[in-house]
Amino acid sequence: MSAHHSEEHHEGGHHPTFRQYVFIAIILFVITLVEFLIIVPESLQGSSLVVAPLFILSILKFAIVIGWYMHLRFDPRMFTTVFLAGLFLALLVVSAVLGLFGSFQPTPRDYAQAHAVPYDPDASHAPEPASTASTALPPASEAPAEPSASAEPAAPAAASVGDGEAIFLSNGQCYTCHTIAGVSEIGVLGPALTGIGADAATRKPGMSAEDYLRESILEPDAFIQEGCMTGAGTACSPGVMAPLVTAANLSDADVEALVQYLLTQ
Amino acid sequence: MAQVSGQLPTADVDHTYTSTGLNHRKLLMWVFLSSDCLFFGSLIATYMVYRGQSLVGPYPIDIIDVPITTVSTFVLLCSSFAMVQALAATNRNDQRGIQLWLLATCFLGAIFIGFQVYEFNEFRAHGLKIDTNLFGTTFFTLTGFHGAHVTLGIVWLFALFIIARKGRLGPATALDVEIAGLYWHFVDIVWIVIFTLLYLVGGFDSGPVAAESHALLQSSLSALPT
Repeated sequence: MSAHHSEEHHEGGHHPTFRQYVFIAIILFVITLVEFLIIVPESLQGSSLVVAPLFILSILKFAIVIGWYMHLRFDPRMFTTVFLAGLFLALLVVSAVLGLFGSFQPTPRDYAQAHAVPYDPDASHAPEPASTASTALPPASEAPAEPSASAEPAAPAAASVGDGEAIFLSNGQCYTCHTIAGVSEIGVLGPALTGIGADAATRKPGMSAEDYLRESILEPDAFIQEGCMTGAGTACSPGVMAPLVTAANLSDADVEALVQYLLTQ
Repeated sequence: MAQVSGQLPTADVDHTYTSTGLNHRKLLMWVFLSSDCLFFGSLIATYMVYRGQSLVGPYPIDIIDVPITTVSTFVLLCSSFAMVQALAATNRNDQRGIQLWLLATCFLGAIFIGFQVYEFNEFRAHGLKIDTNLFGTTFFTLTGFHGAHVTLGIVWLFALFIIARKGRLGPATALDVEIAGLYWHFVDIVWIVIFTLLYLVGGFDSGPVAAESHALLQSSLSALPT
């Protein structure tokens, strides 16, 4: 088979020649390249269509490496049996675990569905941007000043607009139902909150924008704007939002930050 | 040559008698690799079970870099090629070849580890640590153990290189190189699986927003008049 194989090698013990090894390496390279090219089109990235082809190609590479590079093909069959036994058990473990606790698809289960928050690359590392805007009251002052404001002693100054946006997009889960132009366009179940800062002051006569927003968060059903989207399954229907707010488990400071944030919208 | 039984294993050059008729050192390596399949199988299963279950980012799509990892996969494949050449050189008693190919294998393995160090650092810079989310925990555990296997392999191969420099490797001790090679190729095939599952298939897993916008997009698309 090969000129430079020494005498120790007997039939059944051939190792491939240099040229064959180069050929095998090229095959492995080409398969890897094809695997990469398969997921280059964006439409195929993460698609379930590519899973089967990628699996077949990987199994092929796996078989080529153990067959030729690890020369199981040329060695006594016992080595193959020993290895495949472990491999088979491993596959059994993987399928058992996946069958019991998950599935092959990366579908979020109930807990992740309810609690996962989007990734914000900017917020992940740098500390939360220091309050981006002064929390001065917007047009709210046009509403008749209410003595009731004293009932809510000045909120801790810590509540910043930036915090409010973070809560809106994360643990507050507000974005899942409400949109704000330029911030989040995902939730369409509830009324859009673009411009709510100005609108809030006009909603309930005699109530400041700030108080109105606070009430709308803590007691969503206390006042429902006429003409707000109603009907089964939409968030303007009484009783839809309240349990979600309870579930979000917002602290007083969180609510205050949200109020200050919404005032600026 | 003709009178030698075809049943004798390739590397059983010292003609030691064993009850199985196989060289026990080589068999031991295969038994170990067989059990290592279970080790990596469990870690892979754990990764797969927790796919899509992370509660905070970064999610795979935010940080997984498939092109770079494809390059490091090529590097590892190259190192496997260098490894078989090292064994071939040992069998034909090509002293220069043994040293050259062993060193090349170490070097390529070290480049692969370099890629992994770079990747882990990038991930950390994006806020992904082992305790950030389920993705970070399962990803670092699995690829970290693989990296540890590669590192051990590099140490082993470099030790063989030092022995080779003293001229102590040759056809009579080819089994030493062959067994190290089996280990090295095994690390390569584990990476073949990891590369497919964690990068090519799982590298595009996204967090909740993308999933929801996707669903929203689908629903608005289906609502469009045809």
